[in-house]
Amino acid sequence: MVQFVQIVVNGVFTGGVYAIIGIGLSLIFGVMRIVNFAHGVFLVVGMFTTLFFFERLHVDPFLVIPLVMVVGGLLGVVLERFLLEPIARAPEHASILMTVGIGLVLSNVLLFAFGDAPQIINTRYSTSTWHLGPITFSTALTIAFVLTVVVIGGLALILERTDLGRSVRAAAQNADAAELQGINTRRVRSLVFGIGFALAALAGALLLPQLFAHPSIGPTYTLKAFVVTVLGGMGNVAGAIGGGLLLGVTESLGAAYVSSSYRDAFGLAAFLLVLLLRPAGLFGRSRT
Amino acid sequence: MRQTPPSGSHPATRPRIGAGTSSLTGALVLLALLAFYPAAFPSFMTLGVTIVLFAAMATAWDVLGGWTGQLSLGHAVFVGIGAYAMALLVLRNGAAPWWGAMVGVGASVAVAAMWGGVTFRLRGPYFALASIAVAEMTRIVANNWARLTGGAEGISLPGLPRFLGLDLFSRQVEFYMALVLLSLALVVAWWLQRSRFGYHLQAIREDEDAAMALGINPTRDKVWAFLASAALTSLGGSLYGIFLGFFEPRGMFSLDLSVQLALMAYIGGAGTLFGPLIGAGLLVGGSEVLRIYFPGKSLFVYGVLIILVVLFAPDGLSTAVRRARRA
Repeated sequence: MVQFVQIVVNGVFTGGVYAIIGIGLSLIFGVMRIVNFAHGVFLVVGMFTTLFFFERLHVDPFLVIPLVMVVGGLLGVVLERFLLEPIARAPEHASILMTVGIGLVLSNVLLFAFGDAPQIINTRYSTSTWHLGPITFSTALTIAFVLTVVVIGGLALILERTDLGRSVRAAAQNADAAELQGINTRRVRSLVFGIGFALAALAGALLLPQLFAHPSIGPTYTLKAFVVTVLGGMGNVAGAIGGGLLLGVTESLGAAYVSSSYRDAFGLAAFLLVLLLRPAGLFGRSRT
Repeated sequence: MRQTPPSGSHPATRPRIGAGTSSLTGALVLLALLAFYPAAFPSFMTLGVTIVLFAAMATAWDVLGGWTGQLSLGHAVFVGIGAYAMALLVLRNGAAPWWGAMVGVGASVAVAAMWGGVTFRLRGPYFALASIAVAEMTRIVANNWARLTGGAEGISLPGLPRFLGLDLFSRQVEFYMALVLLSLALVVAWWLQRSRFGYHLQAIREDEDAAMALGINPTRDKVWAFLASAALTSLGGSLYGIFLGFFEPRGMFSLDLSVQLALMAYIGGAGTLFGPLIGAGLLVGGSEVLRIYFPGKSLFVYGVLIILVVLFAPDGLSTAVRRARRA
């Protein structure tokens, strides 16, 4: 029982980070109708930006997070402005191919810049833990989870309470109607893509203390982001939180009780099942 | 107001239907020219085999991806099945590789029938997402099912029996086998351009609901296209396995490989006879040049080219060239 709780706790903590990735992807899909195949690479960009600051400036990875998010956000806005805006009215496959291309270019630039060797950072808390009764918590994951909750809460406040958030939601609901109300949907799209990139970069920074960073791991996280958003419903930000936690716990339970080498397959199986069994309910929006 | 996207990216303006016999003549001339490649560039045989083989597989991908408009990012599954069926039968049963290739085609067709039957009700990006999920799960299984596939350590081919007295490990022989496969794929594409079945597929690509209203059964036709595409890709996989001599699930079932095939077709021009071939030549050649200056395998060229093509030539390079010539 203790073991079970432990595994669920680990799953929830990792799932929080997955939720952040998923929320970004879901926001982008909701507002821009783009399935962003570069999302996992954005996360890797966040990892390497953090790594860069950590190694060059010797700053703690959690302290440079605001900086990493700003870098990610700016990159996102620039990419949207120059590469995605021109094809906003093109058929669906154009944006898929464009984001695949962006992902390939970014990950190869990272490969040129940082080399092919997997990198890891050692902080004093990378391996430290704390205990609550019989349950053990990794310090790095705990900090990551707290930050996750704070960021998701902040984002929810912005989306619900501010004019900015209202224009984002309006653009997601009906771009033309939002435009008629005087909302500059073009600016909203840039902003949303920037936020999505910044969130993915944040997730990268949060995962860095417990993972090997390598330029090629992007697609793995792109897939995880898809799984999260499809579980929660494409374009549904609140659903992405549930999807993230569900994926984290599924992976963690599957790895513990079935087989750890099939860890990534459990999420994909869940993804396919949801995609096929609830195509109209959760995912019936593909013909808009 | 928003700007309109650059040039005719709307599907209705795509070239199609009735390009006629001139394209057949073009294909024959091209294949005849390619047949002289080994004599002309004997020291670039590896590059030549890679280009022709990927051209064949990209053309096979295009049967589903371009002509039918179902964007698959999971075709590496068939490459992997073709390669592993061939290699495992050679290693375990001592069967000649062509029998293994046939078994691979059978297995690929069976997999495609199930895969398509289940996921073809998904449309647009959902089909593409599902195809990645299927391919990644296959890769994970192939990687972990070590008793069948040899697992992550990979397998290497022993000496192969001669095929009609020819050494299968010779680059010349591999080149001509790839060329035969490319011809086969081009014949299929040429037939799709002008046959009733091909019109069905193109109608499904343009508007599935309208096609259904005209009495076309989209799911059935999409499955048939998928079977043809899978069978041809699987043959390419068997040949690719022989070409490599050693391979592992991480490479054979990789997402990169699936993405490469799709990008070759799109960059050259999806749903055109020569598009995938042009794309394969450009991308394989381009990354080969890049590899000379930057050691280590790189998909950088693929990324840059697809971005440029989506921005400036949304229907692919072959269509852009044809349009420029006509204008």
